[in-house]
Amino acid sequence: MNERVDNPGDDWIERALADASREHRAEYIADDGFTASVISRLPAPFALPAWRRPVVALLWICGGLAVMMSLPGLFDQLFRGVMAILMSHRMGLVDVAMALILLGGITWSALVYAARSE
Amino acid sequence: MPSTISDAQLIARVVVTDDRHAFGELVRRHQSAVRATLRKLTSGNAALADDLAQETFLLAYRNLKSFRQEAKFSTWLYRIAYNVFLGDARKTKESQLPEDMNIDEISLAASEDATGATRQSALKIDLERAMSVLSDAERAAIVQCYHNDLSHEEAASVLGCPVGTVKTHILRAKQKLKARLGAWAPE
Repeated sequence: MNERVDNPGDDWIERALADASREHRAEYIADDGFTASVISRLPAPFALPAWRRPVVALLWICGGLAVMMSLPGLFDQLFRGVMAILMSHRMGLVDVAMALILLGGITWSALVYAARSE
Repeated sequence: MPSTISDAQLIARVVVTDDRHAFGELVRRHQSAVRATLRKLTSGNAALADDLAQETFLLAYRNLKSFRQEAKFSTWLYRIAYNVFLGDARKTKESQLPEDMNIDEISLAASEDATGATRQSALKIDLERAMSVLSDAERAAIVQCYHNDLSHEEAASVLGCPVGTVKTHILRAKQKLKARLGAWAPE
């Protein structure tokens, strides 16, 4: 707080200013819709377009297909290798279920990642 | 929103998550002071002051990320408000007194045989009128240092000028007010 204002001394203009200032600070201007008016004039919040998610998911699928098409030998060999490993072991229903769950989880995660809002 | 939340917390919410309720709370807290300051700067033109206050808060919203918490939020708002006022003053170039203002009335009020509260309110009215004869910079210095109770350093930050200039503006303003309100001076 300004010392000058609180101790105006004998200067009459200083006293007049100090009195007016005290009254000014004590006055409260009622909101009366002012805040609502300011909020209504704020720029619209940034929102991602609605078409973004399906397009991103489609691009991921297209990208995956493109990789598969361009490298057919790699996937063929990978498939054969996996099958050879699986055939050399006795597989039960639980193993197949676990593999399906794992595959499903990876696919679901990839889709969620692709479709995330931010 | 509870009033226990500090301005800094509300600002953080606005900056990080674009929380408009938090910004609304900031506006609610500071609207009175900002509007009152602008009413003083515009010589009591409430409609213009409210328009400028809206502009002030919109600018504050857009620039909230640049607020560094080095000064009080209210001081930062006063600075924006003053810049908005200056911008408007430059556009309109209105340095004339309001039409209903009659400087000659000042001495008439003072010469009345009034005492106590009546005399006090008459002086207040005359002071309000006399503020119109000050330059924008002088009036702004008086408003920041007296009405908003800022230190000279804070006022200098708000007005964007050196502390010495603020002191000079206040000195000149008081000299002008004294001259204008001479009839009120004690015998």
